[in-house]
Amino acid sequence: MSNKTLVDVKNLSVYFPVHGGVFSKRIASVKAVDGISFSIDRKQIVGMVGESGCGKTTVGRAMINILRHVAPDVEIGGSIEYHFDDKVVDFAALTSSQIRKYRSRVQMIFQDPYASLNPRMTVAQIISEPLQLHTNMNNKEQAERVAWLLDKVGLQPEQARRYPHEFSGGQRQRVGIARALATNPDLIICDEPVSALDVSIQAQVINLMMDLQEEFDVSYLFIAHDLSVVEHISDKIAVMYLGDMAEYGNAHEVYHHPRHPYSKALLSAVPLPDPSRKNRKRIVLKGDVPTPLNKPSGCAFRTRCPVAEPSCAEEKPVFEEHASDHFVACPIVK
Amino acid sequence: MPEQQEISLSILKKRWLKFKTLKRGYYSFIILIILYTLSWFLPMLINNRALIVSYEGELYLPAISGYYPGSEFGQDVPGEAIYRDLKESWEQFESDNWLLMPPYPYSPFEDITVKGNKMYEAPSSTHWLGTDNTGRDVFARLCYAFNISISFALVLTILNYIIGVLVGGSMGYFGGKFDLFFQRIIEIWSSLPMLFVIIIISSIIRPSFFLLIFIYTIVNWIGMTYLMRAEFYREKSKDYVAAALSMGQTNFKVMFKHILPNSLVPIITYFPFSVVGGISALVGLDYLGFGMPPPTPSWGQMLDVGLQNISKWWMVFAPVSAQFVTLIMVVFIGEAVREAFDPKVYSRLR
Repeated sequence: MSNKTLVDVKNLSVYFPVHGGVFSKRIASVKAVDGISFSIDRKQIVGMVGESGCGKTTVGRAMINILRHVAPDVEIGGSIEYHFDDKVVDFAALTSSQIRKYRSRVQMIFQDPYASLNPRMTVAQIISEPLQLHTNMNNKEQAERVAWLLDKVGLQPEQARRYPHEFSGGQRQRVGIARALATNPDLIICDEPVSALDVSIQAQVINLMMDLQEEFDVSYLFIAHDLSVVEHISDKIAVMYLGDMAEYGNAHEVYHHPRHPYSKALLSAVPLPDPSRKNRKRIVLKGDVPTPLNKPSGCAFRTRCPVAEPSCAEEKPVFEEHASDHFVACPIVK
Repeated sequence: MPEQQEISLSILKKRWLKFKTLKRGYYSFIILIILYTLSWFLPMLINNRALIVSYEGELYLPAISGYYPGSEFGQDVPGEAIYRDLKESWEQFESDNWLLMPPYPYSPFEDITVKGNKMYEAPSSTHWLGTDNTGRDVFARLCYAFNISISFALVLTILNYIIGVLVGGSMGYFGGKFDLFFQRIIEIWSSLPMLFVIIIISSIIRPSFFLLIFIYTIVNWIGMTYLMRAEFYREKSKDYVAAALSMGQTNFKVMFKHILPNSLVPIITYFPFSVVGGISALVGLDYLGFGMPPPTPSWGQMLDVGLQNISKWWMVFAPVSAQFVTLIMVVFIGEAVREAFDPKVYSRLR
């Protein structure tokens, strides 16, 4: 393992138990994330793509350990090892109070800029909250830091006294970015940060995020369902399907030479602004995504896979390196 | 550069401004606040004890310091001095002694045992609302009862809200087994016939202001828990809570710094109606005779006595109209608050 590695996710699984019957016994579990492994290096942007409900957001929330407050009985398996300076911290194994002091190192930008800012707090209060928790700054230093951060994300420092409802969606997302950057974190988990915004604003916010990534030397886990956005921003791309990781590798490689049949289908659906390529072959998958309550045996994708073989139903495909730094979970296409 | 931006208003401030535009509720609010504030100074305004007595060169403050026997001021009466008579006789004989009576010189407690008081006196310029079956001044009792009623309702409501917010908020926020456990407790608790419990307790122990508050609180805290549980349950799944947790905020801070300010709408909008409930509850208990101990002025007791002497119209008219006016003002406030807090006006999407 290189010392560049920031976080190493090993065999992460997130199960939400389902209770039913007279004694509300556990009757099943929703396998939102079912054993995925990947790692993020320092100053690296990893894009994570997949359809709705494939577990992208759950991975992000598991990595910052905020699943339990909504679902107290969630089962998190595997390990999420962060390498902070010389310490190795496993967020999957520690309790919330043990994690608290490392919270400043991992931050999150949320999908919905309307819901992620407390409507009762001014922008200054919102951005200075992590500063109050993790630094010894006095009020004046906090105010200076807030003004500096607002300037960095392209807002005016005078706007610090305003409330979130006085901002547009793009501006609110900038406030969310400023809040995430406040404590100089090592990793920011971006949970579809632009999908709630207009296309024109999306580009601005993404470019801002890329500039800030270089300036603050931070890593991103960039969760999105828009492949072209992910290709634009990422160093590496992870493709998820139904709680499993289908493919993980260099962004250019995965985007232009996908190997997993699911990635191929997904990428063939990306709209291209190029009429000369309108005859491109579009792979249309048959059927619907199976429910994560009752996943197909073996390879989860086999029910819709154009190249499936009977052996796919037998065991779960191994996630192996098909080319240098390019992992694929499909023995057929090897 | 834009001009110096005007200071942004918080949602609460905007709602206050909106509330001010709803005249009926706003004026009711102002009037009630003034009346309630004044009612704390009632011993200075409505009292049979003089404010200041200057007797043989010395100053006394009976309204504040309390009991002085009549002999202290050279008055030949058993027990406490009767200041009204004292004043009259000193003025008549142009004595150097003088005293200053409160504007309305009758107390809610002095009855026919005090010389000059008569039972069932009709309203006049001396007794504005007449006297009752024991010769006590109805107007004085009415005013003192106003203070007690409002204080009772306010203390009761605030206590209920504190417990209801703590329990209901924790239920909604923590969920799981804690929620389940308290839900069952509340279901059992709320199925107790509370009026009977109160009647039984107050027939064993002599009730007092704080005992009644205590009894009513152990019954009434439940109402707020339902609302707060729902509010916290809804708010905790919002992303700003996840954001606060992800930056390492403690559960306590998340609950009271982030979620509670966003759950204020039911607390504030129900507050006036809870006060109405508190006032009515006390009137009801007093009417049945299980409320405040007897000499305490209270609307329920006055109503009870008035109904027994229905031909003396002022004894029924006074407590009923006082109650009516107070309750309708509180309801006006509640109505205006509800309108000012209408989420459709200042929703976050606007």
